[in-house]
Amino acid sequence: MDTLVSKYANSASSASFDDADNLGQNMTGWDAASQFALPAFDIPMVANPVDFLRAHTDASAENRIRIQHGTTTLAFKFQGGIVVAVDSRASGGSYIASQTVKKVIEINPYLLGTMAGGAADCQYWERELGRRCRLYELRNKERISVAAASKILSNMVYDYKGMGLSMGTMITGWDKTGPQLFYVDSDGTRMRGERFSVGSGSTFAYGVLDTGYDFNLSIPDALELGRRAIYHATHRDAYSGGSVNVFHVKETGWEFHGNFDVNDLHWEYQAQPKGPIV
Amino acid sequence: MFLTRSEYDRGVNTFSPEGRLFQVEYAIEAIKLGSTAVGIKTAEGLILGVEKRVTSSLLEPSSIEKIFEIDAHIGCAMSGLTADSRTIVDHARVEAQNHAFTYNESIKVESVTQAVCDLALRFGESARGEESIMSRPFGVSLLIAGIDETGPQLFHTDPSGTFVSYGAKAIGSGSEGAETELQEEYHTSMTLVEAETLALKVLKQVMEEKLNSTNVQLASVTKDGGFQIYSAEKLQQVVDRL
Repeated sequence: MDTLVSKYANSASSASFDDADNLGQNMTGWDAASQFALPAFDIPMVANPVDFLRAHTDASAENRIRIQHGTTTLAFKFQGGIVVAVDSRASGGSYIASQTVKKVIEINPYLLGTMAGGAADCQYWERELGRRCRLYELRNKERISVAAASKILSNMVYDYKGMGLSMGTMITGWDKTGPQLFYVDSDGTRMRGERFSVGSGSTFAYGVLDTGYDFNLSIPDALELGRRAIYHATHRDAYSGGSVNVFHVKETGWEFHGNFDVNDLHWEYQAQPKGPIV
Repeated sequence: MFLTRSEYDRGVNTFSPEGRLFQVEYAIEAIKLGSTAVGIKTAEGLILGVEKRVTSSLLEPSSIEKIFEIDAHIGCAMSGLTADSRTIVDHARVEAQNHAFTYNESIKVESVTQAVCDLALRFGESARGEESIMSRPFGVSLLIAGIDETGPQLFHTDPSGTFVSYGAKAIGSGSEGAETELQEEYHTSMTLVEAETLALKVLKQVMEEKLNSTNVQLASVTKDGGFQIYSAEKLQQVVDRL
C-alpha cells in the first residue's frame, strides 16, 4: 500500500509544476503586471548595490551569498530536559541581512530544530520533516521518536549530498525514552549527544557552555547558561548577533523562554561582578 | 446481441447501452453489505458513529477500526471493504499534510473530500499519462466530518467519486432504516450531546446484535477539541444514556 500511496503522494496541482514542458502553458493568461502593479524590490543598503550584488551573487564569486552562514546555535541536555539557545543574525559575507531571524524551527509541539548554514535549506527540510512526522503519527497512532525523526532528516539530505545543500542543525525533543538531542548536517552526519553548538560562533559558545555546564543545573540556571553562551559568541563572532532566543524542551513539549537583545545583555552582564573561573 | 447485463460486466470502464457502468454500480452495492455508519452535523461540531461487527467471541473488538483521523480537524467513518479504505484514508492524510506544507494552513474539508474522490475513478486501464492504481473500483463509502473556516461540514463519498454534503447521513447495511430515523429526529439546532445520543439510538435500531460499548465506536470533531475518538469510559456514558 505504501508504494501505491507514494505514487500519489504529490497532489495533481504540485505535479503540474514539476512538468517543465507545461510550465509555459500554465503561465499564459496570468499577467504579473496587472496583478502586482509597480513591482518593487528590496535593495541592499550599501554604497553601490550593483557592485555589491555582482560580487556576492555571481556563481564564481568567492563570497557568494549564502544568507545565514554565520551563526551561533546551541543545545544541551540537563536534569530538567534540554535548553536550546540561538542568535538571530543573518549575514552574507560582511553584509548583515537581518538581525531578527528565527533560528529555532518549531517542527511540532514536541520537536525543535535549529538553523545554521543555508536558511532556506534548514527551513524547507525541517518543514518537510514536520510533514513526515505528522504522517508517521497518523499512520502509527503514536508520536515519532526523536531518533527516528532525525534519521529521516539525515536520510533526506544525504540523497542530495554534494549538490549544494548547506545545513547544520540540532534536532531536539522529548519522546518515550526521555529528552533527546541529535546533531544532523548536510553531509549526512547524524550524532546523538549531550551538548552541541553549531555555527561560526560555536567555539565561543562552547567555551562558556563547557565552563558553566553541570547536568544538575536548575531550570533557570540552565536557561541562563544558554543565553550567556550565545551572548558571548555574539560578542566575539562578527557573524553572530541580534538577539538571543531561548527554548526549554520539557516532557509536555517545548516552551519559549524569551527574546533578549544582545546589546541589552551586554550592559546587563558588564554590570555584574565577575565570578572566579579558576 | 447484448441483451444480458453480463456482457457489460467485464470491462470495468465500459458503458452499457443504457449508459451505465456496472462495475461502479456493483461497488455501490457492496457498500450496502458493509456495517452501518452514521454522521451527524450540529452547530457545535460533528458526531461519527459506527457499528463493529463482532463475528466471534474470540475476536478482539478493539482491533476493528472503522473511524480514522485524517488530520487534527478532520475524521472519517467508513463502510464497505476495510482494506480499500486504508488506501483512500492514507491518500487523504497525505493530501492534508501536503496542503499544510505548501500553504501553511489546514486543508478545507471539501478539498480533502475532492482529493479522495479524484482517486475513486482511477481504476482499470488508465488514460495516457495518468497511472491507475486499482483494477476495480474502490468498494468503500466514506462519511468525512471536519471543521474548517466555513464551520462544521459533513460529506458523503461513494465509489463513483460523487460527493455530497449532508446534515446527517447513514451508510452501510442498515442505512435505509437509519436514514428514516435520522429524517424524523434530526434538526439543525441539535446540540452535540443530542447528536451523540441520536447516533447511538439510530445504530441500536439497525444493529442485529444488542448495542454495547464494545460493538460501536463514536468520534467527534469540535472546534476546540478537533477530531477525537471516544474512550471506552466516555462511550459507556453515552450508551448508558440510551
